[in-house]
Amino acid sequence: MDVRSQIAMVFHLDKCIGCHTCSVACKNVWTDREGTEYMWWNNVETKPGTGYPTKWEDQDAYKGGWKTDGKNLDLRSTSKTKLVPNIFHNPTMPSMDDYYEPWTYTYDELFNAPEGDDQPVARPVSMITGEPMDIEAGPNWDDDLGGSKIYAANDPNLDALDPEQREQMRAIERMAFFYLPRICNHCLNPSCVASCPSGALYKRGEDGIVLVNQERCRAWRACVSACPYKKTYYNWSTGKSEKCILCFPRLEAGEAPACFHSCVGRIRYLGNVLYDASRIRDTANKPDHELVDAQRDLILDPTDPDVIKAARDSGVPDAVIDSAKKSPVFRWVKEWGLALPLHVEFRTFPMLFYVPPLLPVMSVVDGNVISNDTDKLFADIEKARAPIEYLARLFAGGNAGKVRYALRKQLSVRLWRRHLTVGDISKEIAEQALREAECSPEEADAIYRLTALASMDERVVVPPMQREQAIEMLKDPHEHKQSAGFGFRDGPMRV
Amino acid sequence: MISKQTLKKLAILSATFTFVASASAQRTVSDEAVSYYKANCISCHTVGGGSLVGPDLRDVSKRKDRAWLIRFIRNPKRMIDAGDPYALKLLKESKGQIMTTIPGLSAAMAGKILDMIEVESELPKGKSRFAGLSIPDRPLTPEDITAGRDLFLGRTAFTRGGPACVACHTASDLTGLGGGTLGPDLTAAFARLEGRKALGAWLSAPPSLVMQPVFKDHGLEGEEILQVVAYLKNVAESGDAKAEDMTLAFLLCGVGGAAVFLVICDFAWRRRYRSVRRPLVNKSGTHV
Repeated sequence: MDVRSQIAMVFHLDKCIGCHTCSVACKNVWTDREGTEYMWWNNVETKPGTGYPTKWEDQDAYKGGWKTDGKNLDLRSTSKTKLVPNIFHNPTMPSMDDYYEPWTYTYDELFNAPEGDDQPVARPVSMITGEPMDIEAGPNWDDDLGGSKIYAANDPNLDALDPEQREQMRAIERMAFFYLPRICNHCLNPSCVASCPSGALYKRGEDGIVLVNQERCRAWRACVSACPYKKTYYNWSTGKSEKCILCFPRLEAGEAPACFHSCVGRIRYLGNVLYDASRIRDTANKPDHELVDAQRDLILDPTDPDVIKAARDSGVPDAVIDSAKKSPVFRWVKEWGLALPLHVEFRTFPMLFYVPPLLPVMSVVDGNVISNDTDKLFADIEKARAPIEYLARLFAGGNAGKVRYALRKQLSVRLWRRHLTVGDISKEIAEQALREAECSPEEADAIYRLTALASMDERVVVPPMQREQAIEMLKDPHEHKQSAGFGFRDGPMRV
Repeated sequence: MISKQTLKKLAILSATFTFVASASAQRTVSDEAVSYYKANCISCHTVGGGSLVGPDLRDVSKRKDRAWLIRFIRNPKRMIDAGDPYALKLLKESKGQIMTTIPGLSAAMAGKILDMIEVESELPKGKSRFAGLSIPDRPLTPEDITAGRDLFLGRTAFTRGGPACVACHTASDLTGLGGGTLGPDLTAAFARLEGRKALGAWLSAPPSLVMQPVFKDHGLEGEEILQVVAYLKNVAESGDAKAEDMTLAFLLCGVGGAAVFLVICDFAWRRRYRSVRRPLVNKSGTHV
């Protein structure tokens, strides 16, 4: 057993209101520089929709992630033989049109335009060329089902539905949607790291954060192709690739990452988990429908004495093991089985998990009256607006059972709390719902607490980063202190 | 500051000292001098074997004083440029072939070589080991020409692993883009070196700056020399005075090849500007 610590995340989609505050917080902190205008390390997508960049989930187009024949795990994007003929051009990257051409407005003209007959306007100007432009797309162009005939209709996950279900989702009055905030998943088996010809990408040993070494990056852009979530971006100004760094400087100071900190709906949970790195390869070769369970099996119980011993043997500090015991992520993912990985079939083992949204039931338009054929508005998960097959395609590699389990448990918690607080649901019905969801009343209370009441300290449990130990392994701490800091720096030298 | 004149005087003085020093030493043939002669001199000079490209060196030290000889051996071109009458005479005799300046040849080594030549000159004419080459005397046959052409083109390899002539040289009977252009066109080589003997000597140990290090350890065998000579003789006697100038053909081939390559690249990576979003918009028929 090779036990390591990984900072993992849970986004509770039932709580996301799609306000994009996380995106703006991230943009202001990290990607407000030349060359990064088009980057959104954090973005919020509407589902169904094609997302950002357009149809990023379609790996026939982008060739991200891993493929397996049951024995050999290979990158979909490249191989030694593909690398040579494509050495000058990486063929499966999103174009600028797939991201969007970043723009600003000529705000100055509102004040400085010479006097004339017309009201001065702020025209859109491309941030790439500086020329006036027509805005044709943006990073959340399909927000709230905007342009749904183009975008929502082409969501790759709709392939999981039969034509009748598709038609139901398509009819605008019955259209269901929910939000999907996305950041880098800091995967256990990152295909971006595997694809880098320069060895510039690496996964930090002590916390699993995936980073691009700006000094080693040689602009091959193999990571842009290889990442199935399209969360590495190429900076055209510096000629280096960049990606979400999980605000590691903030984490090292014990603070939540900017997007976590700013989240209005308080949907974001962070904490470290212990996992067995030696089993990743075998796990990644399993068939799609087994992957959710297989990935959960990689995550180890930090209270198990055997795990603690193995973790110590592998060099995980005690303080980090203790932190894992308090991790909210462990509870969501392992204890409760509520949080699921996004597109686990890409086989990168994302360490960002999503609690699937519990949407109201599907309604029909009958004349001018919107009605539904059930008296239980929230109670019938099989008739939910987002079909279970669709959610299963997103969060469970097509294994609908995993989604059904998570939704049923959430529903039982709701019924249980409604019984306790409002009282319009009888104890029998509430308890029966809990039994069916394999959930005890205590567990239901705990889920309720972490969902609705938890404070910042409970939602974000930053493990002690132990940077001094990590640095000591690589170089002399005094030497490091001289050379660390922002930008390209070398320590002072005596000539 | 020391003037050039002073430097020259000093050089002569030092050469003279060297001469005196070596003259006082016992006249023995040093092995070093023999191998040096074989590597650098043998292709143009004999001792008592008649002149090749350069003159026969038998009794050379009786024709000119030793200091002059050492100076000439170490840098023939400078002597010619300086207008030394005897050096100009030699130049005329060798039909304008300037003796190769061998870098790093010391006055001491030149002295040793002269000693060796003196010893060899005392042998009866034709008995010196440097009187001529050990290449066969037999008449050249058409088979030799074919074999020589194969060697020239590299179809058959040289026994001791030397590179084929065509890598750097061309000749008038080569078709296509001809041979290499690093070395001179060899069409007239047979005529330029005045025949079989001199050309054979040249080939036995090519002395030029480029060829010498290449062929030092990979020289041609006797029979091979004969075959290459046969081929070059045949080339010289038949056809044009020099190979066709291929510069324009090379240029056109290069431009054409580059164009074809770019077309292939354009085809192979024809999807490079593909966009995912644009086709969705076009397919929906919506105006944006």
